[in-house]
Amino acid sequence: MSDQDPDSRYDLGSRQRSFLGLTKESALKGLFGGNAFVSILVLGLITFFLFKEGAGFFGQYREDLTTYRNSGLEYVELMREEQDALSALNRYLNSIRTLQSEQLSASGLEFRDVKAILRKDEAFFYDFEDLAYPLREHILEANEIVATARDSYNEMLDLQEHQQNLLKAGREDEAQNLTIPEVDLEMMFSLVKEKEVEFLAINRQLESGMPKLLDRAPEYDDSELSLKLARFKELASMFILEIPDYELKVVSWNRAESVSLGDAFTSFVFGKEWVTNSSIQDWYGIVPLFSGSLLVAFIAMCFAIPFGVGAAVYVNQVANPIEQNLIKPYIEFISAIPSVVIGFFGIAVFGTLLRTVSGWDALGWIEFFPLSERLTGFTAGCLLALMAIPTIFTLAEDALNNVPLAFREASMAMGSTKLQTIVRIIIPTALSGIISAVLLGFGRVIGETMVVLLCAGNRIEIPQISKGVGVFFEPVHTMTGIIAQELGEVVNGSLHYRALFVVGLTLFLISLLINYFAQKIVIKFQISRG
Amino acid sequence: MPVMEDRLENKTRMDATNVESPPDEKNRSLIKISDFDFFYGDKQALFDINMDIAEKEVTAFIGPSGCGKSTLLRCINRMNDLIEIARIGRGDVRVNGVDIYDPRVDATVLRKRVGMVFQKSNPFPKSIYENVVYGLRIQGISKKSVLDDAVEKCLKGAALWEEVSDRLDTSGLSLSGGQQQRLCIARALAVEPDILLMDEPCSALDPVATAKVEELIHSLKNDYTIVIVTHNMQQAARVSDRTAFFYMGKLIEMNATDQMFMSPNNEQTEAYISGRFG
Repeated sequence: MSDQDPDSRYDLGSRQRSFLGLTKESALKGLFGGNAFVSILVLGLITFFLFKEGAGFFGQYREDLTTYRNSGLEYVELMREEQDALSALNRYLNSIRTLQSEQLSASGLEFRDVKAILRKDEAFFYDFEDLAYPLREHILEANEIVATARDSYNEMLDLQEHQQNLLKAGREDEAQNLTIPEVDLEMMFSLVKEKEVEFLAINRQLESGMPKLLDRAPEYDDSELSLKLARFKELASMFILEIPDYELKVVSWNRAESVSLGDAFTSFVFGKEWVTNSSIQDWYGIVPLFSGSLLVAFIAMCFAIPFGVGAAVYVNQVANPIEQNLIKPYIEFISAIPSVVIGFFGIAVFGTLLRTVSGWDALGWIEFFPLSERLTGFTAGCLLALMAIPTIFTLAEDALNNVPLAFREASMAMGSTKLQTIVRIIIPTALSGIISAVLLGFGRVIGETMVVLLCAGNRIEIPQISKGVGVFFEPVHTMTGIIAQELGEVVNGSLHYRALFVVGLTLFLISLLINYFAQKIVIKFQISRG
Repeated sequence: MPVMEDRLENKTRMDATNVESPPDEKNRSLIKISDFDFFYGDKQALFDINMDIAEKEVTAFIGPSGCGKSTLLRCINRMNDLIEIARIGRGDVRVNGVDIYDPRVDATVLRKRVGMVFQKSNPFPKSIYENVVYGLRIQGISKKSVLDDAVEKCLKGAALWEEVSDRLDTSGLSLSGGQQQRLCIARALAVEPDILLMDEPCSALDPVATAKVEELIHSLKNDYTIVIVTHNMQQAARVSDRTAFFYMGKLIEMNATDQMFMSPNNEQTEAYISGRFG
């Protein structure tokens, strides 16, 4: 140092070598900054793409629903409600007959004798069935007309669009040569509307005919049968009283009423049906899928929370170092199993096992046992729990680890046992961390695809809460599952395609919300620790 | 000697406020430690400790960092049990004649008799009220009137009642450092221990808060046997009746505080208290 010229020691300019105006430090800074920028960009692109593809859905769905109304399909559908009610009555009546025949067979009668006894009342049953016939015919006829109208109308729209495209492409000759049939929906519908008088007449006939028929109902000695029959009569009288309601709906239906964007939105958000490739009308209602996802996630969380949090508490507070070193890697290893393998296990082993176990005589007292299905919400839920446990375990253990040792010492110093300390001090202090762990586990479960696609049974139906616990053992379909299943086979840009994107968007929003709340809770947790 | 003057000054002040401070009569020994060796793994932390701690007196443990004074304190209520590698080599610790390391002794029962206040104030993230009644709740006491009485009594005992009586529902963490430490003392008192161990209770406090805690220690002396570990020799001189000096895991000297600070018997003690090392 002493050799150095004192002035040169105070040359305070940068000593870093630069290349193309970049020093090593700024190059590194650029690299890391670039990485962060790219990830934000990708996330932004995904969001944008989802919104872009999904946004067109509601407009398109609105058009589709408008055609549904203008063509008169909705009108026919309203009449069909009455028919469905009537069919339900018929089914109930048939169940009485089936029961009777079963009872007779069980009592040891010959097949021929059973038939003879059944034949006595046969006329009543056939007559009742015949009551429904005119309505069915009327509806079939009307449907034929409106469905044809709708189809040719859609064809016309397609051709018009094709023509526009040709014109845009400058191929005017071809465009001129296209012959586009004119379809007048209103005219076609008027053919149906004209026959409304027939519909009214059919109803009058029902109102007068059915009570008479009911008086001719057979009488049974057996108490169960007569009870059922009494119930049937009650239902039938109720139906007769409801006929004016059905009729009013049909008559007051207004073809000209426009379908708003809000209607399209409600029809998606609160729609109870997800029907695609239907000959009558496609419905894109998210409720069955949403409730299915929720049901599966609920089952999964029922298992994952106690196991995940319990294991975290044990490992963090109770286990000795050897146990810790065993349990932690094992649980964390579960997340390394590919979900398709877990799904495969679910189909091949777990689902079958569940059904076999449900068939045991010892479990016969459970009302919904034995199970008829192998793949149900329960099967998928159990396997999803397996996938959520590592997430919940790891994060909950972190939260417990963050509880200051001083709290534990203070509690122990006052003479509390280990268990009291855990329950009264450690867990409450870590609670918000544990809750956010659970939320993130829930996010993992609701976004999981492969397992639900393979194991949930994929029946698009709203789980019926009225079945009690049995609802968990019904096959369901999920939001993730439907996207994976259907996106591969839809026409690019079609209504169905866009509907799936909106389902994806819904999933995205759910995940976003969950993550947001989880972070909120974690922040609150940090502050509360002072 | 400045330390001594300080001590005397304090003594007179305390006598003025605290009329019934104990006379010179010898109190009986409540804690008896004999031939005590203690290890962390293979490393011996305490060597052959022998001492008597008298009832209803304040005993101060002083000595340089790492001399084993905190370790010994934590042996008195078996807090060292929480450390996996800790073990006793030889000797015993008796509280009121009972060998506390006897296998039949339940550490949780012992800790209800021997309370502890820590270096860093550590109120639970609960309300002030819940902090104080925690020790009672874990004993299964949940009667509101009993808990209310205990809160008032203990907070008064810890000289905190005046400051917090109108906000018992607020978080214990919202208090200032000195208040938090007194809350921790109140919390320890709620269990009604006989002995109170204090591990450098003022090391994280400013002088004003320290003075308050010291005053508190003085008033608690009438009902509790207090053992306090401190780095601060003035503090030892101010609050304690007897002082024990530790060095390298050994008890070098133990004597009445006045005696110890005026004319220590041991050279090392003298070097330490006069500030020549440590």
